Amino acid sequence: MAKVLLSTLVLCLSAEAVWAHASEQGFVLLLPTDVYIAAGGATVVLTVALLAVLPGGVAGAIFRPVPLAASRPNLHHLFGLVAAGVLLWLIWRGLTGSRDPMMNPLSLSVWVVFWIALVSLQGLIGDLWRWINPWSGPAAFLGRIIGRRARWRYPRVLGHWPGVASFLGFAGFLLADPAPTDPGRLAVAVAVYWAFNMAGVLLFGGAWLLRVEGITLLMRSYARMGLLGRAQGRLALGVPGWQVLAQPVPSLGLAVLMLVLLGSGSFDGLNETFLWLGWLGLNPLEFPGRSAVIGSNLLGLLLTNLGLIAVFALCLWLGARLAKDQAGPGLLIRRYAPTLLPIALAYHIGHYLTSFLLDGQYVLAWLSEALGAGHVHVTAGFLNSPGPVRLIWMTQAGVVVAGHVIAQLLAHAIAVRAGQSTRRAALAQAPLALFMVGYTVFGLWLLATPRGA
Amino acid sequence: MTTPTKTATRRGALKTLAGGAAAAALPLWARYTHAQSAEPIRIGFQQHRTGIGAAYGRWYGRTTEAAVGLINAGGGINGRPVEIVAEDDGTDPKRGAEVVEKFANQHGCDVGFGTLFSHVVIGSAPRAGELKLPYFVVSEGTHVSSGMLNRYTLQPGITDVRSQVISMAPFITETLGKKVTMIFPDYGFGYDHRDALAPAIEAQGGEVLAKIAIPPSETSFTRYFPKIPRDTEVLYHVMVGPAVLTFVKELGEFFGGQGPALFGFIDSLEAVAINSPGLDFLEGSHFWEGMCRHQQPDETAHEAFYREAVGVDARGASVNDPADVSTYGHMFGCWETLHVIKAGMEAAGYRGPQDRAALIEAVEAMSDMPQSREHPQGAKRFNGKTHQVFGHQFISQVKNGTLMRVHTTAIEDSLYPDMVDYTTQAF
Repeated sequence: MAKVLLSTLVLCLSAEAVWAHASEQGFVLLLPTDVYIAAGGATVVLTVALLAVLPGGVAGAIFRPVPLAASRPNLHHLFGLVAAGVLLWLIWRGLTGSRDPMMNPLSLSVWVVFWIALVSLQGLIGDLWRWINPWSGPAAFLGRIIGRRARWRYPRVLGHWPGVASFLGFAGFLLADPAPTDPGRLAVAVAVYWAFNMAGVLLFGGAWLLRVEGITLLMRSYARMGLLGRAQGRLALGVPGWQVLAQPVPSLGLAVLMLVLLGSGSFDGLNETFLWLGWLGLNPLEFPGRSAVIGSNLLGLLLTNLGLIAVFALCLWLGARLAKDQAGPGLLIRRYAPTLLPIALAYHIGHYLTSFLLDGQYVLAWLSEALGAGHVHVTAGFLNSPGPVRLIWMTQAGVVVAGHVIAQLLAHAIAVRAGQSTRRAALAQAPLALFMVGYTVFGLWLLATPRGA
Repeated sequence: MTTPTKTATRRGALKTLAGGAAAAALPLWARYTHAQSAEPIRIGFQQHRTGIGAAYGRWYGRTTEAAVGLINAGGGINGRPVEIVAEDDGTDPKRGAEVVEKFANQHGCDVGFGTLFSHVVIGSAPRAGELKLPYFVVSEGTHVSSGMLNRYTLQPGITDVRSQVISMAPFITETLGKKVTMIFPDYGFGYDHRDALAPAIEAQGGEVLAKIAIPPSETSFTRYFPKIPRDTEVLYHVMVGPAVLTFVKELGEFFGGQGPALFGFIDSLEAVAINSPGLDFLEGSHFWEGMCRHQQPDETAHEAFYREAVGVDARGASVNDPADVSTYGHMFGCWETLHVIKAGMEAAGYRGPQDRAALIEAVEAMSDMPQSREHPQGAKRFNGKTHQVFGHQFISQVKNGTLMRVHTTAIEDSLYPDMVDYTTQAF
């Protein structure tokens, strides 16, 4: 029995199958999640309806930023240099430190501090990554002492497409590698990735980071969702999403990357579900381990993203036809892909909230030990009690619904800005709105459905 | 039967712990002076740190840490300190084999230890055999005694599912009723129960009226309950998975407190507070427990010492967080296994990897292990031929939200004929 034991209520590793999720699953299944999901979907429908009847400028007005201080002196390259130093130290600890991923600072830093926390904060606050980018700091520093510009020009014809491939590579590692948390394995992966991109930056200059390096592209995309950003050379504050309207329409490659952020996040949730495991013919109570699903996870990641892009493009095309909009499919995707960022970000936060609450304690425990501040007991107790589990689920669901509402507002504002009347905008949006309502229900279902991997 | 030695007191346990702490406070050279080598004994701990076994892995880790702390405080093994080398296997059989390989070839471990989930044991044990690494599993699987593994794989610290199930039969038929219906998940784990229980019930003059197999992906169970024969006296349930709480709730709603007696395995609710809202229907029902989660009025000094050492309170939860319920019914296996490794190494005069075969032989030579601080769950009897230990099992009844022990089985109740003799296999 041991075997199955806790598969019982267990800790299905979360996402990435990496960090334990949990026995909260049993209590989630006791919640009336059907009702909550319906309410979430209805909220998004209501948003659509309101936008159709309210004056056209309302959505745009919501996102108008408030200018704050003038920009501060720029120290971010210095911090970036420190970040690179920290990263190299982490790689060294990955190779030589504890074999236990929950006690190794590299595993904890990459998967909990960076992937769960920093990505979320980047989306909530603004471009923090700029301050800790471990490539731009060393590049600026080297450039200053060598005093020479990059040797080659980045071939512009490639656009952001290498970045799309780079991010997909990261997502593949997260979702399909058999042991992405193993400190030694992770150290090698991080070292190779850092060195490769460092060489790219040195040879091709900053364009490499803006076009090829997937993590920087991910972070810059999510920075568009932050409260803080720049408007007219000043620091400005606005409702989440204001920068999506303030920034120029992305290139097609970058737009596709934004879709891939959402698609990969969705598959991150989907691949753990009983439904997916059933499709693979696996017993959800006896998950055979990540090494048994490498191929199927890679395929699933690819198909989910392709499917999402196809459905999204179809909705836009249908909308354009309804509204008699002459814009071509490429422009439509570029125009509307950023409206999916709040959905992707919200799902990221919701999906990882439990992992953050549990694995964040391991980070604290490690820090406490490293600083000699004593033992921190890591507890999963909050996952074994109905009250906290309900609160966590409602928070996750609230974030996901909020993300979809913001997405609707953004899409409407963009349609109106493209010169469409409120009625036309509503019409053009109808298929996309339907898609987003469907995605709300799908996202909430992912949080509610039983997981086995 | 297990005889309680004496009622434990917190003060007594603290005193003993203080003794250990005093020993631990000695400088290293003083604690290990009689060792031929101060090199640590390296025990590779194959831990389910991530993956579906992580909840167990966390508590197996804490128990291991506590046991090693105690062993080291007492002078280590053969005068050498014990060092745990933990590697995460992701609860993944393929990685499990890789971890075993790392223990042998990379980390210079003397033995491997601690694996829980059966599929990981089955995936890892062949590699341990090839590498001639003594591999001490804590899995409860019957795969060790069934003969499917090898001479290097042993399970001396925890009993196996088959012995647990068959030892339940006499109590079920004598106390709860002779007409039994089983509800179990429709795959290997459920089949182990189905195949072991039915003959045992029949041997006691009972009858299994129906065997209801539930598809593993099922999350609602109401439509299966009408299949329970009306004259059922005992409902034997071994549901696992995230839907187990739903199962209990729906069962309660279906019977409305008027149904047959319920008998389950604590595996279903390991790490979950038994008095959680929604589990009220379990009041009065019976559970198999590998070790009693809730402190019993007659808890022995050894149990009390163990409970304190692993940092668990009277309700089986962490002393740091009463909501953090441990995997109490299983994790003692790590503690006891580590003490068996220590006893085996001492009996074999273990010095290093060249003595691995001697270590296996020393453990194979073990038989009765009395209840002690090293074996707080109770007395054990090791079968050197099948590499499997046998012991007492506990049946507890939920009374006012607390699991109260109502029966302790005799070791003899859990024995079954040998299916293998590993000692005939060459090293």
